[in-house]
Amino acid sequence: MLKLKGIDFSYGEQQILHQIDFHLRENEFIGIIGPNGSGKSTLLKNISKLLDPDQGFIYLDKDLLNNYSYKDLAKKMAVVPQDSEINFNFTVYDLVMMGRNPYQDRWGRVREKDRKKVDEALQLTDTEKFKDKSIQNLSGGERQRVIIARAIVQEPELLLLDEPTASLDINYQRNIFDLISNLNNKLDMSVLAVSHDLNLISQYCDKLILINQGYIHTIGKVDEVITKENISEVYKTNVDIKYNPITERPYVIIIPHSKNIQRRKKNSFIVHLICGGGTGKDIMSILNDLNIRVSCGVLNRGDTDWAEAKRLNFEVVEIPPFAPIDNKAVQKNEKKISDADLIIVSNTPFGWGNLDNIRVLANFKDKDILFITTPEIEERDFTEGEITALFHKIKKNNNVFETNDNKELCSFINNRYGKTLYD
Amino acid sequence: MKKKINYFYLVLIIIAGLILVSIISLSLGSVNLSPYEVVKIIFSKKDMNNSLNVIINQIRLPRIILGFLVGAGLSIAGVVFQGVIRNPMVDPYIVGISAGAGTGVTIAIVLNLQFSFLFFSTIPLTAFVGALITVYIVYNLAKTNGKVPVVTFLLAGVAVGFVLNALMSFFMVIGTRDLQKIIYWLLGSLSTASWHDIKLMIPYFLIGNVMIIFFLKDLNLILLGETHAQHLGVDVEKTKKYLIVGASLITASVVSVSGSIGFIGLIVPHIARLLVGPDHKKLYPTAAILGGMFLIISDNLARILLAPMEIPVGIITALTGGPYFIYLLRKTKKEIW
Repeated sequence: MLKLKGIDFSYGEQQILHQIDFHLRENEFIGIIGPNGSGKSTLLKNISKLLDPDQGFIYLDKDLLNNYSYKDLAKKMAVVPQDSEINFNFTVYDLVMMGRNPYQDRWGRVREKDRKKVDEALQLTDTEKFKDKSIQNLSGGERQRVIIARAIVQEPELLLLDEPTASLDINYQRNIFDLISNLNNKLDMSVLAVSHDLNLISQYCDKLILINQGYIHTIGKVDEVITKENISEVYKTNVDIKYNPITERPYVIIIPHSKNIQRRKKNSFIVHLICGGGTGKDIMSILNDLNIRVSCGVLNRGDTDWAEAKRLNFEVVEIPPFAPIDNKAVQKNEKKISDADLIIVSNTPFGWGNLDNIRVLANFKDKDILFITTPEIEERDFTEGEITALFHKIKKNNNVFETNDNKELCSFINNRYGKTLYD
Repeated sequence: MKKKINYFYLVLIIIAGLILVSIISLSLGSVNLSPYEVVKIIFSKKDMNNSLNVIINQIRLPRIILGFLVGAGLSIAGVVFQGVIRNPMVDPYIVGISAGAGTGVTIAIVLNLQFSFLFFSTIPLTAFVGALITVYIVYNLAKTNGKVPVVTFLLAGVAVGFVLNALMSFFMVIGTRDLQKIIYWLLGSLSTASWHDIKLMIPYFLIGNVMIIFFLKDLNLILLGETHAQHLGVDVEKTKKYLIVGASLITASVVSVSGSIGFIGLIVPHIARLLVGPDHKKLYPTAAILGGMFLIISDNLARILLAPMEIPVGIITALTGGPYFIYLLRKTKKEIW
């Protein structure tokens, strides 16, 4: 459908695009991402013939892009530009009809087919209800749908979009991308969309192109491109990658690095985490982001939490897989606990195997201890009540606290230790 | 716009208005006739009364037709320039056409040049040539990499206009004895109107209009922005070129026979836009008829108010149109553009 070969482009002396090569196949949906000023919009302008590349070739189907007249090009390719502000009082219907321009003669006579196409597009984009309204009286999201309707009546094989949801709220973001996805799937339009919203575009497109300083950094399937390494490198920011449980697509979360965090006295504050079975994973991530020194114990090797603690280079008191906690490990754990300023107990289930992790806490009457108490301990007690009794006994100590979830955990740490952490 | 008048009826109404205004104008003047007599004289083949026939057919009729052409031409050029440049402050003179024409005329008057070429007499010829040379210079100054960015075009026009105005002032200072003649020309007037003038300007006027009519639909798309227009299949640079050249030809032809009559080209497009909206296929005829009608009415006032003295019609257009436009502006607030 669309093929770029060795595209270079410069504005005056400044070279913006370097050796851009890629291939968009029929019915493919490719997203272009990259930091501000990386050249994504410039690339799109080269493809839409607004700008001519200095070097290289752009093929649209079998023919060079330059061999298309503007009119023929408009029948093959429709563009939804970033800025769709329109200062004139055209009605929505008239504006969408303008998309039929490449099919009309010089006098713009409207034929039955034109009307039919416009009606269909209005229906498809759900803009029928304001077809007689002036385009100026629409909200940003409504206006963008009208512009997409105008693109649809061009009956293009390729749809180019430049930041189609910039400055729209999440409802419209989803709305617009659902619509685009629909055009891609149902009307077999190929789609090339520039977006700075990594998470949004990643949920929809087949492939991603990551552009950095005018070069293609990575091109490939979404989870090949959206990796911690790629994003951190290109955007020069600290991120983590999670997966959307519904689409199973990756998404990027930003880890703020405020001045405070950087200035913190490193490693002066120690947390000992008692967890297991994956219940400590999120807590570890939070503590790691706060740059807190963490020890964990006692964990079985191979446990999810054990793996995560190892990955984050935390100190771990470990025992072999499925083995019960032995005396040596208990002593080691006790040592770690006495070194720590705060002990956090995750909402992990307790059985005979890890009972000692809690039992040891009874010896530390004045330590700060934080229990994550949802779900209730009774529901996680597989020791016929022993752990519950122990739990309530420890709770009578001086500095025992409870929180429900990880969010409360953050605020607890900030409130109680903020001064120590951020100096 | 809340109440949208049916376009068809609107055009009928303004055409009827135009005919009415024309007939009334024909009957007004030092020799007063009834409208009925006017119609009779125009449509009678034979000379009913020789002197009346001359007054109507040789003096008043060409003046009204020329008034219509000038008013319509300025409005059309205004519509086109405002559309192409997408700026409501633009009038046909913005690209330095009137300054160019004025400079040509001033030089001719001051140097007391007398020549003629292809039936052109000195003043229309120098005005026409001065106008076209100016547009050519401005257009090429604005041209960068084969494109004419409208803002550059606008600025180049303003800059060249300033230079030419300075030149004009310089010549006026040198040739003080001709000052009144020059100022009178600059203010614009139809007092010298004749069939000859109409014959002179009409070819360029028509060519300019044909060029514009061919690109009216594309001009609508350009209103959305040049990138939008290109994405919708418009060859933007070509379209702009034809529209600018067409509007310039019209303006130059108009200026050469009437001087630079101000205000019409700026304001009539806005009034027409208020009536029919931004679609140029409707805007073009509406603005043309309204502009023609407006100038005919203004010219009547110019002839009659201080008769036998004639006021330059440019003064009337500004004095009557200005307040009316301010009234419209206040009434409709932001919807005007």
